[in-house]
Amino acid sequence: MPKPAAKLAKIALPALVLGGLYLVAIQEHVQREHIRDAAVALTPRCIEKLEGYALAPGKRYESPYVLQRTGARIALRGYSEEDVRAIQRGCNIVDDTQGRFAQDPYAERWNAKRFLRGSHAACSNCHRGIGDRHDAAGNRPQGSLHLGASWVMGDMYDRFTGLLLPYEFRQFQCYMNASNGYKPNIADDVIRDVTAYTRFLSAAVDMKIANHYEEQGIDEIAASATLKQGDDYVRGEWLYKQKCQQCHGPQAFGQEVSGRLVAPALAGRNAWNLQSRNNFYFVSTILAGFICRNMPPGRENTLDNQECRDLAFYISNLPRPAGDKQGPLVAVQQQLLMAVMPPLLRLGASSKTPGPLSRGNGE
Amino acid sequence: MHAARSQPRLSRHAGSAEVPTLAALAVIIGFVLWAHLASGIPVFNSEVPPEPGWEKFRADYGISYFGDDGQFVRAVQNGYNLFFYTYKYAPRFTRTRAGDRVNSCSACHTVEDLAYSFVNSDRFDPRLGERLSFEDRVRGCYAVSVDGFVPTVFDPAVRDIRLLARAVAHHLQLSEGALRK
Repeated sequence: MPKPAAKLAKIALPALVLGGLYLVAIQEHVQREHIRDAAVALTPRCIEKLEGYALAPGKRYESPYVLQRTGARIALRGYSEEDVRAIQRGCNIVDDTQGRFAQDPYAERWNAKRFLRGSHAACSNCHRGIGDRHDAAGNRPQGSLHLGASWVMGDMYDRFTGLLLPYEFRQFQCYMNASNGYKPNIADDVIRDVTAYTRFLSAAVDMKIANHYEEQGIDEIAASATLKQGDDYVRGEWLYKQKCQQCHGPQAFGQEVSGRLVAPALAGRNAWNLQSRNNFYFVSTILAGFICRNMPPGRENTLDNQECRDLAFYISNLPRPAGDKQGPLVAVQQQLLMAVMPPLLRLGASSKTPGPLSRGNGE
Repeated sequence: MHAARSQPRLSRHAGSAEVPTLAALAVIIGFVLWAHLASGIPVFNSEVPPEPGWEKFRADYGISYFGDDGQFVRAVQNGYNLFFYTYKYAPRFTRTRAGDRVNSCSACHTVEDLAYSFVNSDRFDPRLGERLSFEDRVRGCYAVSVDGFVPTVFDPAVRDIRLLARAVAHHLQLSEGALRK
């Protein structure tokens, strides 16, 4: 090739690559603007939730829930159409993070799935009732991980990370550990829309900034809150078979029926990782508290503290992925456990009690 | 014979090598002590310098609700310093000086404005055609009102203003979307 032509190619090639990347970025921005402007197809539960709170564009917002509970009419700043759409998208993401109900998960959930590993992880697995669980009387139960309560307590000191943890960082932790996935960017619509939804929830139930509410977080159960029999794997396993196996499966790999998630995995590749606060060896009080206050669905608060701790201890001993900070050796060890243990357990179970419960539901 | 002659020379070398090592250690220890105890450089000191009015502000807005000390209270105090003495505590993000008419956030806003702005943030701004977070607004103030530069959302110059707003909003018992009466 003649020299001038080679020089020109050296300049033109990087310019073309950079220009191409710039065009791709522009196209992505335009596409995102279209999605932000498009009407939102709500999930059935979000329709019910947001209609119940009378979310609509307007200059003022008054929560019918607050009016019904307290008799007070509290006028708050209303929401624009853009704000309403952001809240709706946020509700959809919390309710259906994987986009199972979406025709186009990229457009309808900002493809939140790209930050998750496995097919079970979803915000509403832990934040039940789309982050706003109510009992039959309309009360918000203690330790129900209410997202609105979490928003008003954002920025507070977090004893696990040693940080003043903004609400967005809490979402990061959910993606990275509870969902065994990846950290989104703080400005990503996935994060911002969920923030918009949770801020709306806190307005709809009239929560005040930096007040502590009982429904915020988990009602942790320490060993001192039990009869101090110690946490027992065997009791936990027996309880699991009695109380949890029916929904979560014999090896806790969760259950899907016709593409619909009946119960999420508590172990295996679809479960939370070892760095999650749900892991008993990291924080021993959280999973037990979650079980006591939220499980089994419809019969919450029926297990005693010791039973919850035994269950948490058993579940935490089941194989699950390693966290990002635990290094390659732990990762390999956990992958090996997840590959080897299920068939061995199935073999053991089938040799003891042949029957439907001994069959794994496959992962 | 040769080995016998080299022996004392070796030990002399070892002795002389210890002197610079000890001197270097003394310099490092001296620097650490000076930095933490005498320098007054904020990065070496977890205490936030108390500016005039802080104790009154603390009492008026019930900051002690969050404890006497601790990360949150210190961040609120730093937010207070940033809000009232922006030119002094955020020199990287403003070109204004002490003598300028508008040299701090408090030249345009009250802390209560800040709290109401916080609970009304993350809303669509029709003028700009996008949803704006509280942090976006703070960054806008740095860039325009105090004639400076834009910090990242993670910078304490933004974060501590948000925490100040949160503490005041708590004192006023504001909820999301609260309107000023």
